[in-house]
Amino acid sequence: MTQSPTIPRPILTILHALMLIALAWLLFHFVVYVVYANNLIQFPFDYDQGEGFELHDVMLLSQFKSPYADIETFPFYGSIYPPMYHVFLVPFAWLFGAEYWYGRLFSFLTTLITAITISWIVYRETFRAKPSADKTLTRMIAIASGLAFLSSNIVYHIGPLFRQHISMFMFETLAVAVFAHVNEIESAPRRRRMLLLGFGLMIFGGYTKQLAAFTAIAILLFLFIRNPRRAMIWGFGFAVVGAGIFALLNITTDGHWWTQTITANVKDFLTDQAIGLARLFAHLHLALLIPALLQLVYEVYFDRISVYGIWFVCTLVLSALAAGTWGAGDSYYATAVAAMCVLSGMFIGKTVNRGWQFRKNYLRRVLIDPFKKFAPSITLILIVISPVFYILYARATLHMPTTGAGFEQIADIFGIEPNADNGFYDSAGRLVGAYADIGHLTTAQDIANGNLIVERINQMPSDTLLLSEEAAFSFATNREVITNPVVLYILDQVGHYDSSQLVKMLEEQAFGLIVLRARFYPPPVNIAIDTYYEMVEVIPMNGFDYQLLRPKN
Amino acid sequence: MLNKNFTFTKRTLGILCLAIGVLGTIAIFAIDVVDVGREGGIGPIQTVGLVIMVSLALLGLTLIPLGDDPA
Repeated sequence: MTQSPTIPRPILTILHALMLIALAWLLFHFVVYVVYANNLIQFPFDYDQGEGFELHDVMLLSQFKSPYADIETFPFYGSIYPPMYHVFLVPFAWLFGAEYWYGRLFSFLTTLITAITISWIVYRETFRAKPSADKTLTRMIAIASGLAFLSSNIVYHIGPLFRQHISMFMFETLAVAVFAHVNEIESAPRRRRMLLLGFGLMIFGGYTKQLAAFTAIAILLFLFIRNPRRAMIWGFGFAVVGAGIFALLNITTDGHWWTQTITANVKDFLTDQAIGLARLFAHLHLALLIPALLQLVYEVYFDRISVYGIWFVCTLVLSALAAGTWGAGDSYYATAVAAMCVLSGMFIGKTVNRGWQFRKNYLRRVLIDPFKKFAPSITLILIVISPVFYILYARATLHMPTTGAGFEQIADIFGIEPNADNGFYDSAGRLVGAYADIGHLTTAQDIANGNLIVERINQMPSDTLLLSEEAAFSFATNREVITNPVVLYILDQVGHYDSSQLVKMLEEQAFGLIVLRARFYPPPVNIAIDTYYEMVEVIPMNGFDYQLLRPKN
Repeated sequence: MLNKNFTFTKRTLGILCLAIGVLGTIAIFAIDVVDVGREGGIGPIQTVGLVIMVSLALLGLTLIPLGDDPA
């Protein structure tokens, strides 16, 4: 190990030991994450509501059909998400057909790329701030920062899902890494190439999910502070390209793109949900939020403001607001988690390498200078407790199965009791009371029960229509995917959906079987379902009761 | 500001933040003045907006004394 000659050996030994404990714990969370991803990749049905509809978007695009169609006419299907994630999966659809595993594997891999990028940023920035930094310690902190991202309950929950959100934050993180020092590049051609790459990544992120706009705002603010002229020129180009793609999509879809990706995303603001998710985020991530905020204060008052600091503030504040909209969840904070891991890693890296330099100003006179004589002791204390941030964070984000080889023994030793489905412990608990209940592993019984639902559907003649709240059962039985309930519900709420055609089909009992999980349909559709159909069976799967309804006689 | 080499200093950034914060605060209060028929006074989104704008103004005030250090 490379050792800093100026840190006393006992302190260095304690520091390495604490850092190894932190890394071991975070690595354990990574093992849990891999086990979870492996489990989900093999699960052939929807794990999180909506995954099947994203797969349907992929299938439509693979057949060169638009997922942004008229939702008021049969098959009443529309997508509220941009297409980039689905476009990436089209080759897999051509090769393997409608399968969940490749979308989940793709998402999982993008989280690994994000974590590696975070580690690389922390490593790079620590050495930029102090070229003589301790290589071993800096590597450990960089790795811990990347693992901390994967350890977040929020990232863990959604990481291996067939959802577009996950690859969005990969593009955002890569873009931020590209922009971080773009203004310092002397060579104009190289600087332009980097700006093109960065804005290209932002276009990819924005057309993966709309929330990437928060990162775009942060990047444009950063460029504006550093060089307003460059920010305006490139920002204008970025806006023209983004708007051009938007207009093209809107024209080619007869305006359905606008209805489904913009109108359908203007949802009610739920204050309780926003506060609940903010509390959850703070409760889980406090141990790294503190160093991240300290790094931010340092940059604002004693150093140059980095893109990471602006990114952190923008994504934290805007995500907190967006998380209050109907249908939002803890996943809205995932980009803020990435920014937090970068900033906290930079803070801890700077601390253990004693890279703090305070510019002479009024704050230094008030906050730093009075403690100057204690500086050596304070520095040593800070160095020793730095890894404790990661240990506390690992404890706060603890999540693991309490059954299965190895996990059961660990749970027994530490007295960890399950508090989620299928014997899973999750420190995130259910603080918010949101609908999504994810993170646990699926079981063989879940798959058997899913297959039982498929069996019930297959008892119908193959040309009989199926109305399933999850597309998985339509794929498994080679039937047409009919409706995307959440999209219908949201557009109904904002007065942009007329359900009369779907209600008429229900009145005519055109569907041989209806499969419901959460009744996310608009109220008139739910009323029609209850009026003309009756429940014949309830089959539990993955913590939800799937209701099977047949036409009333 | 449109000079090729212009970059914000802590002071100029502070002035900008202060101006945006003050104008934003006035604008948020002005919503109730302009739209007098609205019920319920200052709503939750307005409150959040006010907190952000006042924070921005305070940040600006604390940055201005930092002078010509690059932001």
